[in-house]
Amino acid sequence: MSVTLSGLSAALRHRRLAGVLWLSLLASALLTWYPMKALFAIFDEGAFREALVKGWDGWGMLSFLLTQRHEIAIAEASIAAALLAFALLQIFLTGGVLRVLVDGRPRPVFARVVAESAGLFKANLWATGRFALTALFWGGLLVAAPVKLLGKLGKDAPPHTFLPDLAFWWAIVVGAIVFLNVGLRFDLARIALARGDARNARGAYRVAKQRLSGRRASGIRIILFWLALGAVVQAAFTSAGLQINPHTDGAVAGLFLFRQAGFFLLAMVRVGFWAALLVWEERRRPAYSVIGSASGGTTWKSSEPMAASAAASARPETGSSVTTNGSALLSS
Amino acid sequence: MRKLLLGVALTLACALPTSALEAPRKIVDYDIQVALDPETKLVEGAETLKWTNASDVPVGELRFHLYWNAFRNDRSTFFKESGGQLRGDKADTGKGWGYTDVTSLKWDGVELVKGARFESPDDGNPDDRTVLVVPLPRPIAPGETATLAIAWKAKVPRVYARAGYVRDFFMFGQWFPQIGVYEPKGRRRRTDSGWNCHQYHANSEFYADWGDYRVAVTLPEKFVVGSAGALVDTKTAGGRKTLTFKQKSIHNFAFTADPRYVLVEDVFDPAKDIPADEIAHASKTLGRSEADLRAGFHKVAIRLYLQPDHRAFDRRHIEAQKWALAWTGLWAFPYPYAQISIVDTPEDGLGATGMEYETIYTTLSLKLLSHWPLDRIYLPEMVTIHEFTHGYWMGLLASNEFEESWMDEGINTFTEFVMVDRKYGAYLKVPPGIGFLDQEVNRAQAALSQDHDPIQAYAWKYATGDSYGRNSYPQPGTTIQQIRLLLGEEAFWRAFRGYAERWRFDHPTSEDFLDAMRASGDPHVAALIPKTWYGRGWVDFAILEASTQPDDGFMGFDDADKPVNFDPDPKKKPPKKPDEKNHKGPWQSLVVASRDGDIEMPAHVVLTFKDGQKVERTWDGAGGWIKYRVTSSSPLVKAEVDPDHRTVLDRNPWNNARYTKKYEGPSAAAKGRTYTLHLVEILLSTLWGVL
Repeated sequence: MSVTLSGLSAALRHRRLAGVLWLSLLASALLTWYPMKALFAIFDEGAFREALVKGWDGWGMLSFLLTQRHEIAIAEASIAAALLAFALLQIFLTGGVLRVLVDGRPRPVFARVVAESAGLFKANLWATGRFALTALFWGGLLVAAPVKLLGKLGKDAPPHTFLPDLAFWWAIVVGAIVFLNVGLRFDLARIALARGDARNARGAYRVAKQRLSGRRASGIRIILFWLALGAVVQAAFTSAGLQINPHTDGAVAGLFLFRQAGFFLLAMVRVGFWAALLVWEERRRPAYSVIGSASGGTTWKSSEPMAASAAASARPETGSSVTTNGSALLSS
Repeated sequence: MRKLLLGVALTLACALPTSALEAPRKIVDYDIQVALDPETKLVEGAETLKWTNASDVPVGELRFHLYWNAFRNDRSTFFKESGGQLRGDKADTGKGWGYTDVTSLKWDGVELVKGARFESPDDGNPDDRTVLVVPLPRPIAPGETATLAIAWKAKVPRVYARAGYVRDFFMFGQWFPQIGVYEPKGRRRRTDSGWNCHQYHANSEFYADWGDYRVAVTLPEKFVVGSAGALVDTKTAGGRKTLTFKQKSIHNFAFTADPRYVLVEDVFDPAKDIPADEIAHASKTLGRSEADLRAGFHKVAIRLYLQPDHRAFDRRHIEAQKWALAWTGLWAFPYPYAQISIVDTPEDGLGATGMEYETIYTTLSLKLLSHWPLDRIYLPEMVTIHEFTHGYWMGLLASNEFEESWMDEGINTFTEFVMVDRKYGAYLKVPPGIGFLDQEVNRAQAALSQDHDPIQAYAWKYATGDSYGRNSYPQPGTTIQQIRLLLGEEAFWRAFRGYAERWRFDHPTSEDFLDAMRASGDPHVAALIPKTWYGRGWVDFAILEASTQPDDGFMGFDDADKPVNFDPDPKKKPPKKPDEKNHKGPWQSLVVASRDGDIEMPAHVVLTFKDGQKVERTWDGAGGWIKYRVTSSSPLVKAEVDPDHRTVLDRNPWNNARYTKKYEGPSAAAKGRTYTLHLVEILLSTLWGVL
């Protein structure tokens, strides 16, 4: 089975896992609920109620934005808080999600994800920090510095001619390449942590480097495919959601459910991505790999694939010290 | 004696006309030769200026604007006021300075430049060099025309405020020693004659006399040149060329040069380019026949000097230009010149963008706006329409922008949003169906922003740059719209066109425009004008209270002290309150509407009942509030003041309505919350691409 099909298949099978991710999204977004409730209360008390129920009112919205600045500032702060909470939740949950995918058991999920995530959180947090630093470093070295240099060289060039265009496209293309490379290694490092190939972020990044060796392009293709799929899902549901323009409370509830279905699908895409990357990584694992290097000694272990049931039975419900070289996904 | 007679004759001829002028009274005649070295950005110029003293008093000194001295150093009034930045563009204080030095000024062969001095009539700034005062050996008599030979040297500033260069792009605006305006008694309601020659301020534009121009520009052959005039001669020699342009009946002359320009030419043909529905609409509203409205229209050559990376915008600018020519021709008067030149500035020279000159203006193109979905943002069209129409309110009705900036910017903002909204609908469009009208954007900037000044003030005397902006652009534009809504379409547009036709080729004042608006005798317009043009008036309509309750009939003691509908026995329980849900009526409702602020405006108050019935009342706005008590068969669900939002100056339109508990319609708040929650989820879910 191809990597993509494995991902799609896992996305369909691990719907509960997608549900956990979707819940994390909804829960984070709901942090803005009360500030938004205060902000939008005027919609039902003010002069534009019926116009806004019907659809758009430019004057109403403009005057709303300009007369409700205080409430808007509070709502913006709540959005920033939601972003922070969601970011931390994703750093937290990714380890658990990966462990569940490695196990291949679609249920029970919630408790396991939380328990496994807790064990891996510290290492994942360090890995995220390293990701941010490496992204800054390579972004500065390969994107910002050349763009600045091109800007200096093209200082007197008319806009949209060779040098300014080169600087623009360099920022876009090389920036994307840098981001994808740094991001792929970050993802593989988290897989290494989840699989127990390494105990800490440093070791995980080393393992990730080994997995990436000579295979970056195919790994990046996986990221791009799933990013594109996610963008399509997002665009389709957003566009359809805007077209719906509900005129009754019931229809608004219907729109809410419809959009949540879209976000759930997006979470499935996320699960599919991780599953596909796990399969890809599995195929790139050496016959023998170094594990447990962080403990001071070196343990050699066979990397024969394990059956799902065997993998599941071999692992306790919690704990971060478990190591496994096999993947249920591969054998599924 | 001969001069005196001439003076009297001229003064009589120049006395304020009671009807519109067919052509301007010409005070100046410029014959200019200018050579540009694009490498050093140095300019050498010579001009022969014929200036006529149109007043009835002798003039003993001349005053000149040297606008580019605003960019001479950081001590100029312009630099001090602007802080070296204008509209987001910053001065290049490294090597971007510019200047104008008059090296010779002769009258009848007598050199006058040695006796010349700089004055700062507005702020007394001893370092400002933008007004040059030249004492004369003898006064210029009334009606006398003095012929002056002027030579000057200049350096082009790096552009951040209208004029200047960036790379090989040059915009020459307000670039030559230009004589100030000696206003005769009666002009712009002056009680005595005198100079009107202000310094160049960060927040001021210009004012000049009408005249004819002949301008010869010498520069390297590679340059494409666009100007306010028609090209009448071209000579080339030694890799340089001299282009000679002529234009009659203007009060300034601007030109641009850039080797990269792509010249796009088109023609406005009134037979094809005036929309049939627009002329029919104008004919009906103005009460004039279509043939009458078409009279005076003629073909106009359109020249678009386009940056090569902005080719995608050629039709957009030209179509907007044609629409503006048609609209202004119908609602003001037909454009009198043979050509109009549109200058598309480069994106690294945006300081020159969005500036009007006569028969030439600069517009905006941003390559980003040529791609979906941003190509639905009609900002380039809006700028083209705005800058062209300045050619009317600054150009053909030559207002004094130093002293009455709103007369150009404010009237222009009004005509801009009328034109833009009529042609494009929402000009800031985000699919699907979400957008803002130009009028709404201006209305928001006017009614919902802080005000510190009245509309009418000298441009540099507003509290802040923002206050100048508000009171010169959106506030007068929106207040004119308010007058339009008060007068009604026919009365307003007839007054508006009457004003434009009356003051064509002249120099109107604020009161001339306001007189035209007051002429209909509408008391609310008459009351509005002093509160807004000369005061900081404001208005806010609101519904303070809206309640409804069942009317259960008479309860208590009647006149014979008999209990009605209750039992006075204290041992008995009082009767239960009737169930509101099952109450069949009647209902008692109370509504209190208020008008806050010092502008008295009329407004409709509409009471809506559950059974769909509506009661509408007109309130004259007098007093601070009005109370309505209504007995009805159905409960009140909503009370609203100014439901059609006709009070465009209303500071808070959201408090114009209240719903009672009996309203059972769908919730807009739930819809807003739901959409926003989705927006937040979209934002958060993008992190899945990273984390």
